[in-house]
Amino acid sequence: MKVKIGLEVHQQMATERKMYCDCPTNYQDVPPNTNVCPICTGMPGSKPLPPNERAVEAAIEIALMVGCKVLTCQTIYIQRKHYDYPDLPSGYQRTSLPIAKNGKLYGVRIREVHLEEDPGQYDPTAGTVDYNRSGVPLVEIVTEPDMKSPEEARKFLRTLTRLLEYTGKVRPEAGGAMRTDVNISLEGGGRVEVKNINSVKGAYRALKYEIIRQRERLRRGGAVVRETRAYLESQMVTVPMRAKETEEDYRYIPDPDIFPLILDKVRVDAVKAKMVEAPHLREARLVKQYRIPKASANVIVSERELADLYEAVAREVDPKLAATWFRTKLKKVLNYMKLSAADIKFTPTQLASLLGMVKRKRVTPEQGELVLREMVKEPADPEKLLLRLGLIPLKKSELLAAVAGAIKENPNAVKDYRAGRKEALNFLAGKVMKLTRGRADPREVSKLLRLKLKK
Amino acid sequence: MGRGTLEKLATIRRGELSAVENVQRALERIGKQNKKINAFIELNPKALAEADAIDRMLKQGEHVGKLAGLTIGVKSNINVEGLRATCASRTLENYVSTYDAEVVKRIRAGGGVIIGMNNMDEFACGSSGETSAFGPTANPAAPGRIPGGSSSGPAAAIAAGFCDLCIGSDTGGSIRNPASHCGVVGVKPTYGLVPRQGLIDLGMSLDQIGPIAHDVSGAALMLETIAGKNPNECVMLNVEKVTYADKLDDGLKGMRIGVSPNFAELTDPALMRVVDGAVEKLRDLGAEIIEVELPNIEKALSAYYLIVSVEFFSATRKFDGRKYGRRIEEVCGEEVLRRILRGKYISQKEYRGKYYQRALQVRTLIKQELMAALQRTDVIVGPTVPKLPHRIGEKISVSAMYAYDYLTIPANLAGICGGVIKAGEVNGIPVGLQVQGKVLGELEMLRVMWALEAAA
Amino acid sequence: MAERQKGIERSAEEIVESFVEATKELPELKETYYSQEAYNIVRSDGEPTPAKERTEFRKRFISNMPGADDHGNLKVEVARWAGER
Repeated sequence: MKVKIGLEVHQQMATERKMYCDCPTNYQDVPPNTNVCPICTGMPGSKPLPPNERAVEAAIEIALMVGCKVLTCQTIYIQRKHYDYPDLPSGYQRTSLPIAKNGKLYGVRIREVHLEEDPGQYDPTAGTVDYNRSGVPLVEIVTEPDMKSPEEARKFLRTLTRLLEYTGKVRPEAGGAMRTDVNISLEGGGRVEVKNINSVKGAYRALKYEIIRQRERLRRGGAVVRETRAYLESQMVTVPMRAKETEEDYRYIPDPDIFPLILDKVRVDAVKAKMVEAPHLREARLVKQYRIPKASANVIVSERELADLYEAVAREVDPKLAATWFRTKLKKVLNYMKLSAADIKFTPTQLASLLGMVKRKRVTPEQGELVLREMVKEPADPEKLLLRLGLIPLKKSELLAAVAGAIKENPNAVKDYRAGRKEALNFLAGKVMKLTRGRADPREVSKLLRLKLKK
Repeated sequence: MGRGTLEKLATIRRGELSAVENVQRALERIGKQNKKINAFIELNPKALAEADAIDRMLKQGEHVGKLAGLTIGVKSNINVEGLRATCASRTLENYVSTYDAEVVKRIRAGGGVIIGMNNMDEFACGSSGETSAFGPTANPAAPGRIPGGSSSGPAAAIAAGFCDLCIGSDTGGSIRNPASHCGVVGVKPTYGLVPRQGLIDLGMSLDQIGPIAHDVSGAALMLETIAGKNPNECVMLNVEKVTYADKLDDGLKGMRIGVSPNFAELTDPALMRVVDGAVEKLRDLGAEIIEVELPNIEKALSAYYLIVSVEFFSATRKFDGRKYGRRIEEVCGEEVLRRILRGKYISQKEYRGKYYQRALQVRTLIKQELMAALQRTDVIVGPTVPKLPHRIGEKISVSAMYAYDYLTIPANLAGICGGVIKAGEVNGIPVGLQVQGKVLGELEMLRVMWALEAAA
Repeated sequence: MAERQKGIERSAEEIVESFVEATKELPELKETYYSQEAYNIVRSDGEPTPAKERTEFRKRFISNMPGADDHGNLKVEVARWAGER
């Protein structure tokens, strides 16, 4: 059964002040109704301040990021979108006409991008409203209904999240900085919109539920009417939200209290010149420029700071070695310590230095990882850390002595190995590691043992 | 005559009259007569304390603003922190302002002492002063007659001598109309000259706050105090400050004054006689009288009522009773509801083009016509209202009520300035001459008004 | 109330009808949304308002509320659809 899914993504932009007033935007860090003023609470007689310039710039950048064409030399009115809801302090939301149109991202067409303001936070079950969030600048990205399954939608949202974070212009993901309304229609049914979704997981679940619900309905010969439903997170179901079946008339008018915007080409070009490279474009470039595998490049671009670090390191040391290390050891250490690349405090030179030591075989890769872990905890020169950890590099004579020692001390294992028991080699290797206090390179140990035991 | 406000200011500065005494006298007079006039809904309990602070500053020779010690009335749709901005409606009956409107901040900085909140037509939706939820306001200059609206309280307060200056708001004539009926001075500034931050909206693209005063000097003084760019507001003209006071008596030699026969077509002959008399006086004072054509001027009325209804509908969505006050549709008066329903109806998707957008096109036409006329003239004068104010309580139709606005609405649609000065009387009822000026043409407008006042 | 509303609605439409009549012959023109139109009036992002100012406002805001909870949230209606199932 043909499914059409479209998304309306609302993303908060990273600004200090709200869109139309100077209240702070850190709504999650403060008690209810603290970051408020007459404007964002809709007090009688309050008028908006001129729109936040940084929000406008960020929206332009985001629109370019998703591949849209910015509408230059067009009068972009900020409109009043009227509807009645407890979280809307003035009974209307200020939302701009599109600032950009006709983009494409990961195979999904982007219909348009425009500026909005966040409403307050309404708890529908408790019946309370907190206006701290009211007025935080939003950018809305509207897609065409090009997605064909909840999985596709989820994938799109995840990659979109990463893309938006890449710009550095959006508020961090935690706690609803990105919210999505979904719309879904099945062949033979009307388009259903689902609101009140607060996470990518929620969007996925809401869509899965809707498909089942609508499919059942159609199967039984019923009609799927065009309506707006709400997603209930706790029960993972959708329920009807608005009584009417007809589309709501928002009675849009240009806001008489806000002058319109005209985005000229010069300004858009300036944004284009300054903006960060999109992750999928950067990935392709890394592969080509540094001749590294796609898999490594993909991991490297997963965070902008990680990719920045990589390119800095690749300037000083073998890019291919660096790529392997970034994909395996560095990512592993970061995940284990629950850190993001942005949290890294050591310098590219320090990491390059360490990788150089690995390349020269001054340390084993395993030792290198230990040093790396220390470096993440406390940035320092890798040579210093090596000493601090007692990882004095093993001399070849010491290694040979240890191999000889292990063979001598474990004649039974030697016999077993020569008799064909391969695992006896591991036992012997373990003994060598013990004798060298873990400083030997396991690969070297195996190689030497095999050599010595051939006789 | 005509220098009352400036004289009062001088006596305060000279120490002959203290601010406290000025306030006391005002409160005494209000106490005796407001019950009858009903120009004030609420008085400022801190007025004496505020006056006392001014007196201390004066005594110590500290800098005080140009309104120092004067008593000020504020229309009830302008936020004064701590007092109730009721808009004369049950909707906001108990809404205690949570902030000062920008103009109020400037008045305070100017040393003005706010006496109280003036009565008005409910949510500024009226031209008679009869629709307040707190009872109608009387006309001190024409007992038994309506004072006009919607700034009925401010105009009556000035006419009754309750205070030195008032600020009202004008969307379709709401300052000029009552100024005419009550025989006082009223000015609607150029749109965008005076900040609206803190003014409870009727029609956002039309509203302006302006002074109502005993004399032109007083109005000019107030205008100087409240006008000028507000960085905390988006839709304003790029004007830092204005000065009029020292140029008012420049005389009228060479002033080109426009008159239009189209006004007479809409106005009672008795009123026109007074207006014509005033025009003659202006000619005698040296002005050049030029005839201008405003052929579509009467179409402004209906276009206005469509636009203002849409904007008012939008403005009132916030009165849902959740954060403060009551839900407006549940408790408001007829005219308020009428405008909300009209606005709701014509802003529907399928009707927008036919009504709202079409009205905005007519607005363009009116603006073009007035601007063209003002190319050839410095100001345009004429009657303020087409007919005399009716008796309080007299039932008139909705369209008859709207008809009062015929002559004042065009200035709001075009965004130009307009002022009113008493020109005479008909059967003891004041008749005001309206003087309309160009965008930011307040000085010429005020000079004409001043000249007429001085010649009276 | 509904009767009253109907009556008011009807009287509201009168001027709309007379508008259509009066302007029938007029040409099509550009719409005037703003008295004096300007563009790109924006303000810079930066230091938000000081907390003290907002604390004062918060007190007054809460005192006008028909209902507030212990944390300062505004109390409003519970959503009909939220209570379902």
